[in-house]
Amino acid sequence: MSWRLVREVAWREIVTRARTKAFRLITGILVVVSIAVPIITALLPDGGDDLRDVTIGLVDVDQATEEQISAFAAGSLNVTFNDLTGSTVEQVDQALSDGEIDLALEPGPTLVWNRATDFEIANIVYSVLQQQEVLVKGRALGLDQTAIAELLTPAVLQERFADEADESDELVATVASIGLMAAFIIPQVFGQLALLSVVEEKSTRVIEVLLNHIRPRTLLLGKVIGIGVLAVVQLVVVVGGMIAALALTNAIDVPAAIWRFVPIILVSILGGLAIYNTLFALLGSLISRQEDASQVMLPIFIPIMAGLFVGQAAIIGNAETTLMKALTLFPLTAPMLLPVRVARDAIAPWEVGLSLALLVLGVWLLIRIAGRVYEFTLLHTGSPVSWSQLARLSRGAALD
Amino acid sequence: MTDGLRATGLHKSFGDVAALRGIDLEVPRGQLSGFLGPNGAGKTTTMRGILGLVAMDAGKVTWEGHPIGEDDRRHIGYMPQERGLYPRMKVHEHIAYMGRLAGLDRTTASRRASEWAERVGLSDRGDDLIQELSTGNQQRVQLAVALVHEPVLMILDEPFAGLDPIAVATLSEVMAEQVARNVSVVFSSHQLELVQDLAEQVTIVAAGETQATGTVSELRSRSPNRLLEIQWNGTIPDWSPPDSEPREAPAGVSRFVVPAATDAGALVASAAAAGRVSAISFEPPGLDEVFLELVSQ
Repeated sequence: MSWRLVREVAWREIVTRARTKAFRLITGILVVVSIAVPIITALLPDGGDDLRDVTIGLVDVDQATEEQISAFAAGSLNVTFNDLTGSTVEQVDQALSDGEIDLALEPGPTLVWNRATDFEIANIVYSVLQQQEVLVKGRALGLDQTAIAELLTPAVLQERFADEADESDELVATVASIGLMAAFIIPQVFGQLALLSVVEEKSTRVIEVLLNHIRPRTLLLGKVIGIGVLAVVQLVVVVGGMIAALALTNAIDVPAAIWRFVPIILVSILGGLAIYNTLFALLGSLISRQEDASQVMLPIFIPIMAGLFVGQAAIIGNAETTLMKALTLFPLTAPMLLPVRVARDAIAPWEVGLSLALLVLGVWLLIRIAGRVYEFTLLHTGSPVSWSQLARLSRGAALD
Repeated sequence: MTDGLRATGLHKSFGDVAALRGIDLEVPRGQLSGFLGPNGAGKTTTMRGILGLVAMDAGKVTWEGHPIGEDDRRHIGYMPQERGLYPRMKVHEHIAYMGRLAGLDRTTASRRASEWAERVGLSDRGDDLIQELSTGNQQRVQLAVALVHEPVLMILDEPFAGLDPIAVATLSEVMAEQVARNVSVVFSSHQLELVQDLAEQVTIVAAGETQATGTVSELRSRSPNRLLEIQWNGTIPDWSPPDSEPREAPAGVSRFVVPAATDAGALVASAAAAGRVSAISFEPPGLDEVFLELVSQ
């Protein structure tokens, strides 16, 4: 294996792919979006207090009650009042059914609803009336203002959760989702580039000239590495742009804990790129025309979709099922599932090590098999190589 | 003269189809060899076999007396029949890239790419993408790619196909230059007049077998036929030699293909008796006639 030739092939892939309009356009759009999101978030107004609006019709209710309800509702509801003094029962009902008010407070005191009770505002009104009642009765009992105030001091109620949902849950879900989606999307997008690159070399017959100077395995490795590097460069540019925009705007508070998950996400993406670029390139060697690409690519989406679905289930559900553990060790699904299980702290260090070791072994084996198959299929033209022929080539047999 | 390239007894079948059934081909060092045959005769398969692109079922290929290997093949310049170029690479970058794959360092590859782009008439197109060039210019790039690493053996599959006369002249010159540099050059072509003019040696194949090998004059003289051409003074008489086949001829001229064993003196006498002969020639047929004789056997 000549590493100089691997480097030459990789460099050609990087330069020619990066030069295409499609690549530059997509990278440009991704960079703009990644920078624009934090900036737009920073520029947008706060959007108010986001409190729910409630309109209360007051029928012969004094000013003090109105002020107390406002005070009680502050911070939880945005309450406005509609003075319905002197209104008849029919007029109040009409105002409710017309939606002018959400409820009415009549002397009695009586709360009037259109149909259903809104317990949040009902509790507020009840608390106000209860306080007024305590005040009246306390005075009647001869209590002074201090004693009454003491009586009205609300009880302190603390809460405790057996399964506490705190900020770290949100972080875990975010990290797991980012890792899963990155390892789902990036390898298949760039893997398809590898496939098209192989098909181009076959359809233009440039492969005949190349094989005069370079071994198929060297060519394959150079292609896989070149397209992988291109993917990483695009990722770095896009993520770098986003980090810079976040740092400049302070629009989104990024938890510092997220950075400790970056290595596993990066390793998963690199592993996914290595294995899927190789697999897509191998499949590209089976066909001679781009039109046949979808036909040979179909089986590759089975592990990709399995990884996505199982990974999504594990983000919110049990991340330690037998299926999850098995697929974490399977090289084609490991890149998607490793970040999920690591983020959810549902994997032992030895499992991470074993999964990565199997991934590296899988890539190595695949490159060996692909190199062997490549030698026979690169010059094959016409109808696609069948799966049975592929199996024979993988074992080292020759085609007829 | 050293050994150069020697392919002997090449056999290759694709399924039930026997593409090569015993091909022999020799291209000594510093010689330009034509490799002729009708479509499907096995020329391209033979060339791919020499390059190691197709594994032969039987036969051997040697270079300078030893079995041709990977290192030898790195010193081959190859022009495939269907042009093999990256459409989205620039001309200079493409030639230099192929030079680097062939083992040149970056500086040398770049310098040679510039030199060869100029030699094939594309010095002002160095920054153009291959896909922006005409077919003829793409073929010029292909030639530069085949030569950038200064090969010792050139295998050119239909190099003249689709070229204009200027490009044909350029390619012919370049091939002659390479031969002068002691490079072995073998090329296939259907343009027999060109082959006759350029090639020192010709191998003719048909149905996967070598039919004949030799210099153009040897092949012509080995023909079982001769071409009789008579220029008449005045009206062409209603005369034809025995066992002959007429051929198209310009005004005032008769042409016949006759058996080589025919008595030329008797023919001249017979013609002179039939009409007024101003000139007469009796010689081996051209390469096109020889080719037709061999491939129709």
